[in-house]
Parts: sequence; structure tokens; C-alpha cells
Amino acid sequence: MIADSLIVERGISAGDAWITVSPETAHDALAALKGEGYRLLVFLTCVDHLADSSRPKWPGRYEMVYQLRNMDSLEQLRVRAFVDGDPPHVDSVADLFPPANWDERETYDMFGVIFNGHPDLTRILMPDDWVGHPLRRDYPVGGETVEFSEEHESWQTAPEKA
Amino acid sequence: MSDSETGTIGQGVTVQRTGEHGAFGGELLTVNFGPHHPSTHGVLRLIVDLDGEQVKRLTPVIGYLHTGIEKQAEALRWQQAVVVTDRHDYLSPPINNLAYALAVEKLLGVDVPPRADALRVIMCELTRIASHLVWLGTSGIELGASTMLMYCFRERDTILDMNEEISGFRMHTSYIRPGGVMADATPRFMDMLDKFCDKMPGNVDEYEALLTMNPIFRSRTIGIGRLPAEDAKVLGATGPMLRGSGVKWDLRKNMPYSGYENYDFEVPTSDLCDCYGRYLVRIKEMRESVRILRQALDRLPDGPINVDDRKVLPPPREELETSMEAVIHHFKLFTEGYSVPAGDAYAAVESGRGENGCYVVSDGTHKPRRVKFRAASFVNLQPLERMAMNHMVADMVAIIGTADTVLGDCDR
Amino acid sequence: MGIEALAESLGQNILTTTLGKLIGWGRGNSVWPLQFGLACCAMEMIHTATASVDIARFGSEAMRASPRQADMMIVSGRVSQKMAPILRTIYDQMPEPKWVISMGACASTGGVFNNYALLQGVDKIVPVDVYVPGCPPRPEDLLNALMILQERIKAQGITPRS
Repeated sequence: MIADSLIVERGISAGDAWITVSPETAHDALAALKGEGYRLLVFLTCVDHLADSSRPKWPGRYEMVYQLRNMDSLEQLRVRAFVDGDPPHVDSVADLFPPANWDERETYDMFGVIFNGHPDLTRILMPDDWVGHPLRRDYPVGGETVEFSEEHESWQTAPEKA
Repeated sequence: MSDSETGTIGQGVTVQRTGEHGAFGGELLTVNFGPHHPSTHGVLRLIVDLDGEQVKRLTPVIGYLHTGIEKQAEALRWQQAVVVTDRHDYLSPPINNLAYALAVEKLLGVDVPPRADALRVIMCELTRIASHLVWLGTSGIELGASTMLMYCFRERDTILDMNEEISGFRMHTSYIRPGGVMADATPRFMDMLDKFCDKMPGNVDEYEALLTMNPIFRSRTIGIGRLPAEDAKVLGATGPMLRGSGVKWDLRKNMPYSGYENYDFEVPTSDLCDCYGRYLVRIKEMRESVRILRQALDRLPDGPINVDDRKVLPPPREELETSMEAVIHHFKLFTEGYSVPAGDAYAAVESGRGENGCYVVSDGTHKPRRVKFRAASFVNLQPLERMAMNHMVADMVAIIGTADTVLGDCDR
Repeated sequence: MGIEALAESLGQNILTTTLGKLIGWGRGNSVWPLQFGLACCAMEMIHTATASVDIARFGSEAMRASPRQADMMIVSGRVSQKMAPILRTIYDQMPEPKWVISMGACASTGGVFNNYALLQGVDKIVPVDVYVPGCPPRPEDLLNALMILQERIKAQGITPRS
């Protein structure tokens, strides 16, 4: 395991081990973990904790999630880093894990997270001239209003308390 | 720009990129390929720099099938979101369902009964075969063997008929859902499956007779699109892309789920590392899938097909007439849905294309906070430049074909 | 041969019709679809072309990759906002007369995906002649749509499309 100084918190969620690191040291922590054999970045994504009441206080609105796997010992580890700000900034890990390149572009596209040092941070799924970042919780689902549906109003608008 | 530069994809995987001038002094020609092109398997768009006929630079442009599935899942309830999981990798709906169901079950802390597991395995293996058949048929057409499509879709039709028998729907079955499966297998389904298991190995022989020794097919695939094992690992490739490069990695074997550890099957690999190797791997996988199907059919345990938890699944119809509690549960489930304890979970399954994972985050309410699909096609597209570099344009078709990307899976 | 004998022998071999009916018959029985697969429905479209359902019985087996050679566009699957301008361009490239079948719930209405990313019905950008319900529709449904379209083409004759 990597140096304890890098780890803010650790735990197990539904059987999956995870650690939390601070966003400034996320790159170092991932580099250290890679050196320990976690060579596959399964996926990288972001979770928007806007108006999330499952915890009294979240360390940051955006939670970066890196799922790592050691393909030899079959261990898995989830690394989290909470970031705030508009737009939030975090260091790119595309230099450590090549598949992160597109994952980071997707996260930028969907959440507006800026990855410092990414080789080509452009939109990947949405058209280049799209405004907004669709997977943020304050971005409406969109589409057309469905009459007589229970979620009649909530389709078009952002969720409550957002 | 210099005449030649060595670009890195990272981690020692390098591609030799040339500058503005080709090897023969001519200019590089930038060609747009897709998104409406018959050989890009859907709506993939490639921007290719050509030196004569040789590919010198290749940039995939994706997103033409972006459906907002992850956002949609956040707007649906836990049990409703099963329906959108079907449609992201549309060649393997039950496998997507399984990834989602396993992740939600992990959070709920429930284990499905053995019969449900066996039925899940049966559906997944049928789907794997169906998915490989689509790949084989369409790749056959692209590489000049048009007959393949007719042969492959003949068997695919049989599989879709079985889907229809067990779930009432041909493609998007939504058969596997958190807590179990939708319905029990009918005797007619068992019959059909039995016949299918008997016939399928002979059908695979037929495909092999058409392609494996076919000189045109061999010359168009052998040595084309090489992806060495180390590069494949570094670039995160999974599934037949990785096994076609000689790495014995299969989630069903390495990290078993749904009782795959109880079945006896091989993980086929090929050391050829090229398009032909990937073809061989997929053909062998179809045979192995039939073996699993046969074992699952012979050993199908009896018992319930759903967890006995009224908070997750509706009570049986009979109980509604006698039990007030059952009525309340039924009402709650269909008006509000169930809530999942706060937390997050990741479940990965092996689809026809590679690791198909689902990462769910719950905030304790009846709707997911976040559903993220780890799409195999999305990752498997990234080695495309590595594979297609310095090959001819026509070979690019073979390379895209054997990468077997589903754009619905890639764009979600 | 006398003129009466000639008239008699020809009378047995000549059918009279209107030009409109003749053209309608020809067009209706050789509708060449554009090979334009988008998503899930494309799979069922391929099934329609294969042996068990065999669209060739209705003269539409010649799937053309180029819009310049096609009479009919089968919009088989969901159309994203990013794809919409391309779909329209392809439609514009098809020569008149041309027809559109909107295959499946997503192409017709957006289907289950009532959200920001999808065009809520392809009829917002191209005129649709036949809608096929289903997600995806069975191959037989597509054949039925083709037969409905054929009836319409035959009835249309040489009158230009309004």
C-alpha cells in the first residue's frame, strides 16, 4: 500500500476497497499505486454530489473516481478525490494510464472537469459547440414534456435544491 | 512540423507519425471516413491522413450515437433503469443487464438463488454467441465473404427466437434485473436450447469451412492490425482484443461472477496478435459458450428464480389476494420503487467485446445518483491508431471489423 | 398478313395502362434502401435482409451505401443531436423521388430516451412516410412498413410529391 501521508480516508463500500486522496496529490498517489502493480485503470469518472443528503457534509461537490486493478493479484482499488470549484481542476493521469485519455475527455465533456496537462482536452461525445455539461446535476434531463406523467415538471428542470 | 515525428500514445506505445510530407515526397491527404460509411459498424467517424494508400495518422471521432443513457438512468428509478442498460451495448443486452444487476445487488446486499444464476449464465452465453455472430457476419461481408451474413444470421435468428420464448422480446429482453430474473424458463425454451446446443458446433464448423482456410480472408487478416500483448495491456484493451494478443484474461475465469467458477471451459487465446488471431479467438469462444450452455442446461438447479425480498421484487400474484402486507409492498414498489443504501459499487462482467462494467452510486433514494457504464468498445477503440498505422486503407476495414466495436456501447 | 390478323395477334399481347400506373408499379417494386444503420434497429434491419425474412421478395434487397443510388432511407435507430445534421445531409443527397421509413420508437419519438442527447423524432428534420413502432420492431414489422410504402408509391404514380 502507498504511503499513509497520501491517504485521507480509507474504507470498504459494498465489498470494494477504496481510499480517498487529496486532489493535489491524486497524480502522485496513482503513480505510486501503479508502481505497486495496479497497472490497469478500469475506468475514470466523476460523481456530482450536488444536493446529496446522504452525508451531512461532502468534502467537495465533484468526486473523481479512479478504479484500479492489479491484473496479477486480482486486487481492485477505488481511488477517490473530491474537488470543488467552477470549473474544477485536477491533474491528468493520461501520462500514467493511456486509456485515461478518452475517459478524461468524456469527464470534461460531461462534468466540465478540467484536467491539467491533458494532451487534447476537447469534447468527445457532445458536438463541439455544445453549451453546458450534461451529467452535472443542475443540467436538466431535457427532452420533451410528457403529459400526465408523474415526473411532468422534473423532466425539463434541474432537480430540487440544486 | 518536421518530416517525421514519433508520437507517443503513452507508456512506451509509440506510433511513427509522419509530418506533412509522405515517404515519396507527396503531400499527406486527409480523408474523412464516416460517420455514414458501410464498413464502420454504425456511426464511427475516422479522420485519416494518407500517404498514398498508407494510413499515417488516424483519429477516431465518436459521439454520433450519444444517447444520454447515464443521465437517463439518473432520472429513472432503480428498477426502471434496467431498461436503458439494454440499449447501450445493443448486441449484448442481457450482459449489460447483468452488470447493472450485480452492482445494484452488491449495494443491496442480496444474493440471487442458484437457479437465477444458472439462467443468467444461459442468457449471457446465448447473447455472447449472438454478438459474435453479428461480428462474424458483418466482418465477412466487409472482407469479401458475403455468404457469411446469411449463415450467421440464420443462427442468430434461432437465438432471438429463444429470447422471445423466455422473455417475450427478441433483442432488448430486460430479462436479468436486480434480485433475479424476469421469468422462469419454459419447457419449450429448454427444448430449443437443447436443440441449439446440439446443432451449434456443426454450424461453427460451417463458418470455419468458409473462412478459416479461405485464401482471400487469410491474406486480408494475417499480419494485419498487429497489437502486441504488452501494448494491448497498456492500452487497456479487454476481451477478444486482449486474448487475440495472447493474454489469457477473461473475467469469467479470473474474477468469476454468477457461478461461472462452476463451469468447465477454456479461455481461448491466440499468439498471432493480428486480425486473424482475434477471429480465431472469437470462433473458439463460440464453441466454449456452447459447452457452458450444455453444462448449464444439464445441471440447471430447481428452486426460486428471485430473491425472497419483498422490498426489492413484487410479491407473487396469489399473495395479493390474501395478504395486506403484500398489497402494501406491491403498491410501494410500483409507485415509488425501492431505495438502495447509500454507497457505491462496481461490478464487471465479460461481454462479447470485453469488460463491461457498471459503477453505481446511491444516495439512499429511490433513484440512482450516478450510473456509469465502463464500455469495452470505448476503451478498445483507442488502440485503433496503433493497429492501423502504416497499413493500407482497405486493411483499416479489417481492423475496425475485428476490433468489434459497438458504437452504442462506445457513445452511450 | 392482313391488317385484321395483325390487330388480332397484337390485341392478345398488348396491355394498355396509364403511364402513372406503370411508373408506380416499377418504382414500388424496386425500392432501394439506403444502407444506413444507426443503432439497435439496424440489427433487425439486417435480419430483414437475410434468408429467414428475405426482403428480396419485395424488391428491396439492394442496400445502397451511397445516398445517390437510394430511393428510401430507413432511419434505423436513435438519432443524436450530433448525428442529426449528417442525417439531413444524407437525405438531401438522395435523388427524388425519395421516401423515409422511421424504424423504431427512438427514431419516431425518441423512445425511452426523453433527454438532451436525442432528437425527439426524426420527423423534425426529414419528412417521414411510414412509422414503425417497436423497440426494436420485428423484421416482419419492417416488411409491413415496406408494403404500406409500396402501396403508397404505386398510388402516387407520376405526380410529384407534394
